[in-house]
Amino acid sequence: MDSNVKLDEVVMRFGDFTAIERTSLEIASGEFFSFLGPSGCGKTTILNMISGFLRPSEGQVWIGGEPMAGVPVNRRPTAMIFQNLALFPLMTVFENIEFGLEVRGVDKRKRREVSERLLALVALEGSGSKLVTELSGGQKQRIAIARALAVEPRVLLLDEPLSALDLKLRQHMRAELKAIQRKTGITFIYITHDQGEALTMSDRVAVMSAGRIQQVADPMTLYRSPRTGFVASFVGENNRLEVKVIDREGERVRLDGGALGSLMGRAGDDVVLANGQAAALYIRPEHLRPLGDGDSGPRLETTIEAVHFEGAWLMLETRLEASGEKLRVQLGSELAKRAAQALEPGRQIDFGFDPEEAVVLPDDGSPMVDEATGEVLEVAPGGNAKVGGEHVPSA
Amino acid sequence: MFRQLSERFGRPVAMAILTLLGMWLMVMVTLPQLQMIDYSFRPNLLPAQLGGPEDVWTLSNYVTLFNNEIHRAIFFKTLWSSVLVTLLTLVVSYPLAYYLAKVATPRQAALCILLLIIPFWINEILRTYSWFIILAFRGPLNEILLALGLIDRPIRFLSGDGGVMVGMVYAYILFMVFPLYNAIESLDDNQIRAARDLGAGNVRTHWRIVIPHAKPGIATGCIMTFMLAAGSYAVPALLGSPGSRWFTQIIYNWFFEGGNWNQGAAYAFLLLVLCIGFMSLVMKFFKVGLGDIAK
Repeated sequence: MDSNVKLDEVVMRFGDFTAIERTSLEIASGEFFSFLGPSGCGKTTILNMISGFLRPSEGQVWIGGEPMAGVPVNRRPTAMIFQNLALFPLMTVFENIEFGLEVRGVDKRKRREVSERLLALVALEGSGSKLVTELSGGQKQRIAIARALAVEPRVLLLDEPLSALDLKLRQHMRAELKAIQRKTGITFIYITHDQGEALTMSDRVAVMSAGRIQQVADPMTLYRSPRTGFVASFVGENNRLEVKVIDREGERVRLDGGALGSLMGRAGDDVVLANGQAAALYIRPEHLRPLGDGDSGPRLETTIEAVHFEGAWLMLETRLEASGEKLRVQLGSELAKRAAQALEPGRQIDFGFDPEEAVVLPDDGSPMVDEATGEVLEVAPGGNAKVGGEHVPSA
Repeated sequence: MFRQLSERFGRPVAMAILTLLGMWLMVMVTLPQLQMIDYSFRPNLLPAQLGGPEDVWTLSNYVTLFNNEIHRAIFFKTLWSSVLVTLLTLVVSYPLAYYLAKVATPRQAALCILLLIIPFWINEILRTYSWFIILAFRGPLNEILLALGLIDRPIRFLSGDGGVMVGMVYAYILFMVFPLYNAIESLDDNQIRAARDLGAGNVRTHWRIVIPHAKPGIATGCIMTFMLAAGSYAVPALLGSPGSRWFTQIIYNWFFEGGNWNQGAAYAFLLLVLCIGFMSLVMKFFKVGLGDIAK
């Protein structure tokens, strides 16, 4: 792999607090790489170490094959797009984009050529003489990208740049960012707590929790084969059932679901599952389907508690009759139409699932993730998440 | 304004507030000023001659300044020295204000501000006297420099304008530090980080990002310092040498030693015009309006 950015045994401590546990990672040239995690997980700290705003307590950052120790922010081949963009409000669009070149002593004509070219790239030709305060949110976003690209960085660092935009614009900018990244071929390192952004744009995603990288994988693998309980519950939605391993045959694992009876699942990639070991079975809401009386296979008997109409799908909140645990079920509109009369709070309904789609992971005391905020709430002993909500100093 | 006030407090209170405000401005500010201007345009007469045929409006008091070479020189020297004091104060205050606003931890900043303010609990005259002692020919500063072997014989700090400069920078530093601090403090840290990230060194980051942002604060600080310096009496009186008289001392002399209030009023009015002129120049130069400064 043609490595562009390399974290070599990097550790970051603030006083007694370890913000980043020992981490090694390589990011390839031209890759769109995301760090995804809840607030306080250390992703911004990693970004700051790459950009040079923070010096790692241990280990070394490499960019383009060069060690970065002792190289100050203004000498690094990186450019950052800040969460609030940090455009210079007293300067015109041209002056903003050309700032990095001005600093490098590029002459005026050359600078103007570059900024005209970049304005064309971000589809804002002709607005160079405007003040940045006259631009809309989306336009500011693009100027920030142009300003960062003007210095021809080897790596573009993006710190949740879309979080200030409204939903429609955000989705539009995702596509645009991805297109710009393809056109320029520059390595993008993207920080976000929004899994939608990470999954749609990235070539690879590193999921982080409590200063530790939980898994690095392409979005599809991340979603289909989470390696840890944290990833399983943080990326997408997941129902978690506590089970015991009965035995394993290749990928197939037979499970004892306690009151739920015998269940089946697919062993997570590279996980070790001993017979009799406590484990967790993760089933995504969209992989559950209603069972008729004649259908065979494992059967989860539930009572519907609430039905939410989401447009393209229905979200059911149900409770497992046997164990009293919650089970969230997502039904596509076709399935929902067929079962329409049965979908009312208080009605009983049985669900089945394809064992191929249900991942079994060792019970590592996976953290509870707050569904609304994505924040880590708590974790059983032995897990690696700290008690939730603490804020990591990010500067 | 009346409508806003009466909606909030009712008509009677609103009227009372506005009447008081109007009276205060009239009696305490406008009338005395008008009186002084009136004085400045009349000749200095004996009480018996007041209202007589000689009591007419004249420019003679203003002409005095243009005919008196020494006074004219002192007038322009005051202007020039006040500009110098202002610049010196700015140069000293900027790093301090930047440190307080962006570098220091809140604890350090609080301690620093406290240390800056405590001396100002002491009367200005006393503080100025302490500089008189420090800078004296046989004073501690000369002793220290001698002891360190940096000089062979004591320096006369207090001859010339040096003492006045030091005294004024010290006396008015807070009026520069606080506007600067407020202005720099309101700058988003990411602006500085972005400039650094795009390759700017320290000097350029200040020149292109911090200073332009702090412009209204710089203008406010410069105007205040200049006004105070140009209108200062105690510092030049105490720390000045005979050769470094301030225009305020001349005005004082007209009033209280020459007994010529009319002449003094004319000089005072000219100083006021000078200050207003300087203020407008600074505002034009920094491209800020009165509204920015009042913030």
